[in-house]
Amino acid sequence: MDFRLGEKELALKEEIRKFAQVELPPDFVRSTVIDGEFRDFDFEISMSRKLAQRGWLVMSWPEKYGGRGASVLEQTIYEMEIAYRGIPGAWMGISGIQWVGPCLIMFGTEEQKEEYLPLIASGEKDGVWCTGYSEPNAGSDFANIRTRAVRDGDDYIINGQKVWTSAAHRARWCWLAVRTSLNAAKKHHGISIFIVDMKSPGVTVSPILNYYGRHHFNEVFFDNVRVPASNLVGEENKGWYYLMQSLAFERRSIAPTTYGTLKWILEELAKYARQTEYDGQVLCENPLVRTKLADLAIDLEVLKMFAFQLSWRISLGHIPVYESSRNKIMSDELMRRGAITGAEILGIYSQVDPDSDWAKLSGAMQGAYLGFPGQAIAAGTAEIEKSIIAQFRLGLPKSY
Amino acid sequence: MDFSFTEEQNMLRMSARDFLAKECPKSKVREMDKDERGYDPQMWHRMAQLGWMGLVFPEEYGGMGAGFMDLVILMEEMGRNILPGPFFSTVALCALPLLEYGSSEQKAKFLPQIAKGEAIWAFGLAESSGKCEATEVRLRAVLKGKDYVLEGHKLFVTDAHVADYILVVGRTRQGEGPENGITLFVVDASGPSVKMEPIPTIGGDRQFKVSLDGVTAPEDRILGTIGKGWGIVDFMLQRAAVLKCAEISGACQAVLDMTTNYAKERIQFDRPIGSFQAIQHKLADMLIDVEAVQHLLYQAAWGINVGSPSPCQISVAKAKGNEAYQRICIEAVAAHGAIGYTMDHDLGLYYRRVKAAQFAAGDTDLHKEIIANGLDL
Repeated sequence: MDFRLGEKELALKEEIRKFAQVELPPDFVRSTVIDGEFRDFDFEISMSRKLAQRGWLVMSWPEKYGGRGASVLEQTIYEMEIAYRGIPGAWMGISGIQWVGPCLIMFGTEEQKEEYLPLIASGEKDGVWCTGYSEPNAGSDFANIRTRAVRDGDDYIINGQKVWTSAAHRARWCWLAVRTSLNAAKKHHGISIFIVDMKSPGVTVSPILNYYGRHHFNEVFFDNVRVPASNLVGEENKGWYYLMQSLAFERRSIAPTTYGTLKWILEELAKYARQTEYDGQVLCENPLVRTKLADLAIDLEVLKMFAFQLSWRISLGHIPVYESSRNKIMSDELMRRGAITGAEILGIYSQVDPDSDWAKLSGAMQGAYLGFPGQAIAAGTAEIEKSIIAQFRLGLPKSY
Repeated sequence: MDFSFTEEQNMLRMSARDFLAKECPKSKVREMDKDERGYDPQMWHRMAQLGWMGLVFPEEYGGMGAGFMDLVILMEEMGRNILPGPFFSTVALCALPLLEYGSSEQKAKFLPQIAKGEAIWAFGLAESSGKCEATEVRLRAVLKGKDYVLEGHKLFVTDAHVADYILVVGRTRQGEGPENGITLFVVDASGPSVKMEPIPTIGGDRQFKVSLDGVTAPEDRILGTIGKGWGIVDFMLQRAAVLKCAEISGACQAVLDMTTNYAKERIQFDRPIGSFQAIQHKLADMLIDVEAVQHLLYQAAWGINVGSPSPCQISVAKAKGNEAYQRICIEAVAAHGAIGYTMDHDLGLYYRRVKAAQFAAGDTDLHKEIIANGLDL
């Protein structure tokens, strides 16, 4: 066993710290959980470009596609640090960097790799992707998707609707899951993945505001959208396999980013508790406050170890069976507890609008409090993840 | 970063698991619950022959020269099997501080006895409040001539009745803060001025009030420097917290395994209860708790193993272990239904041991306080 970070990882942390110091404006207010991404799209994309110039944006990709072949551990450290420092622009709608690119590297044609990977790696607006998975009747039961793609000469014609599509209003491309066969023995078969230009005729994006009025999700409608057959990813009807791979990529990055965000929140809360007096007592001397923050610190360590353990497994070439689900559950649980605890420590100020001058800690706690229930649903609910653990780790019967 | 054990460590784990499965089935655990000594001397002797007591001692003291992580692995297996007896008291609480702070004469005398299984040790720290804190130490040690004379009592001294020696934390000086003026003494447990009164506990272990009524301790029975004993207690508490967490980790894994197996076998509504999500999600929560304890344990143990222990990581591991062990046992009883509540079922053996484990080497409050201090609160 060895839990030391190597020189490479330590140096990377230090470089990111300096980068944040130099590149973030002094009055910078970081996005909160309820904001999601793209609080200020132009500024965030300008940061994406800078991250790309540093070779960080897609660091785990091979060099010929714009990466630098970084290890999974470096990638994990990067995600932790970026989230901890609140550096915007690192995700670019998340899809492209986190799973479209890696999946194309594994399953894409040479033409697809040459066309799309450099765009993502550049950090430009044309490298922003969204992912079309969920539909009105396919949430947790994802294999139930009904959006159809039908072959027509050299093209496919796509009809249907997607929902909860993050960043579709910013995306240039869509990584789209569709049904290509109605006759498959199981509904998991008969699914394919397409690359769709969001500027294609027949694509309509309609915003869904979350309960705090922030625009992150969308409905996306496909009305006779014509897509060249060369935009099919991998083999027709084998899409489920690629989807599972993409979800594994997505779920891996959740623990490191949540860890970074919560580490920052915990430090801010500790600082707040040191600086705030209540009833003649500094908050940090209140035993209740001390216990609550210690509780957060304990599970933050758990999340860190879970994140590293999963990275280590992947670095050995293992395909994680249940660890991603475990990490997703732990991340959501910790975000929930961090948000609630943080709000309790702010007391009555926890109700102040996060953007108001009255807000403490730049509204971070309200943002987390409002945002965590939504974040817990994305990429698999706790209920689904626990059923996955029961089935694939504990060997219990499939229950869904 | 590397989360794997060495091949030798895996072999140590498997051989410990095999030995304990054979020598210490649950029938033996139950037998020892009723036994006056609370442990089986023959098994103790065989454990010594395997080199377990002296695992981390250098060879010159009859040890195996293994690392702290090896001891953690061994104690995880002991915890999995809830091995009854004075191993934790002797090795974790007493032998490790003896090895670190003992004079060469003390080490040469006491450590080989322990390694051979010929001496059992107990540790006396807590007094009326039961807390592992310096303010708690009131037992007086007064210099008379060349010897110290000890007056006072210790509570919750585990395994005192079978101990040959008790390491007693006494106060040699008042003032200048509670941590100053504390000294550790090696006391003969069978001496005439040592009195023991059992404190019956729910866990089936053996704990005692130990009263010292004018016990004489000559200079060679002082461990470390006079007045600086709290540093030794601190050293001991850190290591013992990790080793108790190792026992907890093994116990948690055993309870999860037991409950998962039961969920696969128990049929209700014509199918195994493990096919119901209500049971599956409980088990998934338990698994996450188990793995959380394991990874925190290995992180803390690794720090000690490489010579840079982190007090925060140690406290994080023990605090999490304390809470997870309790939660896992309670959920396991719920998943089992009424059978888990019976004397005949093994689950109760684990649940009944939760409390003793939580208070060994610092309770949850103490460890959370250390964590809070680490946050600069």
